[in-house]
This record gives sequence, structure tokens and C-alpha cells, in this order.
Amino acid sequence: MEQLHRLYNTHVKLLAFDLLSLTQTPSHSPSDPISFSRRGTFFFRAETVGTITSRELKPNKFLKFTVDDGTGCIVCVLWLNQLVSPYFSRCSPPSVRLIAQMASHFAAEVRLGVVARVRGRITSYRGAVQITVSDVVVERDPNVETLHWLECMSLASKCFDVRLS
Amino acid sequence: MESSAIKSGALVSLQDLHQSSPFFKQGASLRVTGKLQEYSVETSIAIVVDGNAKLKINTQHLRDLSFRVNSIYQFIGELLIQPDDEAILQARVGRNVDGIDLNLYHQSLQLLRQFQADHLSTT
Repeated sequence: MEQLHRLYNTHVKLLAFDLLSLTQTPSHSPSDPISFSRRGTFFFRAETVGTITSRELKPNKFLKFTVDDGTGCIVCVLWLNQLVSPYFSRCSPPSVRLIAQMASHFAAEVRLGVVARVRGRITSYRGAVQITVSDVVVERDPNVETLHWLECMSLASKCFDVRLS
Repeated sequence: MESSAIKSGALVSLQDLHQSSPFFKQGASLRVTGKLQEYSVETSIAIVVDGNAKLKINTQHLRDLSFRVNSIYQFIGELLIQPDDEAILQARVGRNVDGIDLNLYHQSLQLLRQFQADHLSTT
């Protein structure tokens, strides 16, 4: 149980080819959080850095875009329906408005050709791994992608591919 | 496994794009980085260089990108190999990357290739 939730609140830095190869963990009960695994390590949230290579907007519903980090393309979904969603009707209206404003701000940041750091929950749609976005930051330093690759490789070799005894 | 119709641009150096290279394929999706040597407004063709290697880039589909000779650019697009075996990259996105540490970039690219190869061989 402790190992299952070790990374629950961590946006793990993963290369696209690695993220896309994760397998969804079968859940034993509806209350279990959705998780994905690779070599015995469970992941819930991820961080990717790459170039935005596609953008599809459904106003007031969602923004779907792809992040290409050089090893693969990750589909990212940013929900924009907070003001009409029954899920958010349970929350206080000022909080919902704030969440909706933030989502709208992130959507405006996502433009073709920019490099962005995207974080969110790892989810699956029609059998394909994707990220349900929680935040987006445009990165202007041209060296951030290189740094992200190095960080991902370092974390994989020192943390995620190491069997815990 | 690709999860979208948009293909990832494989990271290559301009030196990788010789005729006997596995990356030198019609329609291959590539990401290239190089210094702008020439740009023609009439044809939208840019020529980028990296050391002794050079590549033509068709930039007609790019928006909001200004071209300055001697600046460094990165493009993602598909390789078009013409009948005379000259290659041109049909860019779909591009950006100015002035300030990039090219030595670190190229070294990291090699590490990344090795990392991917190691992981594919153990899965």
C-alpha cells in the first residue's frame, strides 16, 4: 500500500516514449485512484516538456493538444467546462470561477510551436495514455528541453528502474 | 506507441541526414537544429547549417516567426527527398533557439538515443 501511493502527489518527469508505454493498473475497487505502472513502480501524475505540435479547441469544453519532446507525442487534455460541469456544481462558485479562469489562461498559453511544461494526471482514453492537464507553463529558455531529457534519464536510472527492497 | 495522429519529430543532427542514414527516408518526421545561413522571402526556403552539414527548410506553413541570418532555429517537419536526392524539410513548427548550448544538446541527444535503445531492448 505504501509503495502504491509513494508517488501519488508527485508529477513525475517522464520522457514521452516512457509515458506512452505505461500500462494501466487494474483497480480492485472503484475508490482506488487510477494508476499506471512500469517495472513495478506506480505513477499517477506526470510532467512533460516539449513543443506544442497540434491544438484543437472545443470552446467551453476542452482544449486537446500534443506535446512532442523528441521521443514521442503526448496527447494532453485541458478541461474548459468548469462553469457548466455537474462535477463542479458541488464546489463554491468563486472557487469554480477561479479554476475556470486559470484553465482559460493556460489554454491561451498553448500555441503551436512554443515549448511548454505541462503537468497533470496520467489518464487513458480509448486505450491510449494521455495527460489530463492541471497546469501549463511556457518555457522560453532554449535549454529547458535538454535539461528535461537529462532529468528524466537520471530519475529513471536512479529512482524508477530501481527495485525497492 | 504513438497515441495520436501527429508524429513525433525524431531528434537528428544535420550530420545524420546523409543518404545512407536510417533517418534519410521520404516522409520521415524529424526535428532539426541549425544556424540560419540564408532565407528567401520569395520561396520561403531557409538554409540552416551545423558544422559542415546543411539542410533546406520549407517554411511556407510557419507563422509568427521572423528569420535572422546567423540565429539558431529548430524545426519539426517531414523530409521531402527530391528526384535528385536533395532533401528539404517541410516544417510544420519552428522557433528561434538563440542561446541554446549546442554542445550540451548534441551530447544529450546521444545519451537519449542510448537510453531509448537500452529501454527498448529490456522490455
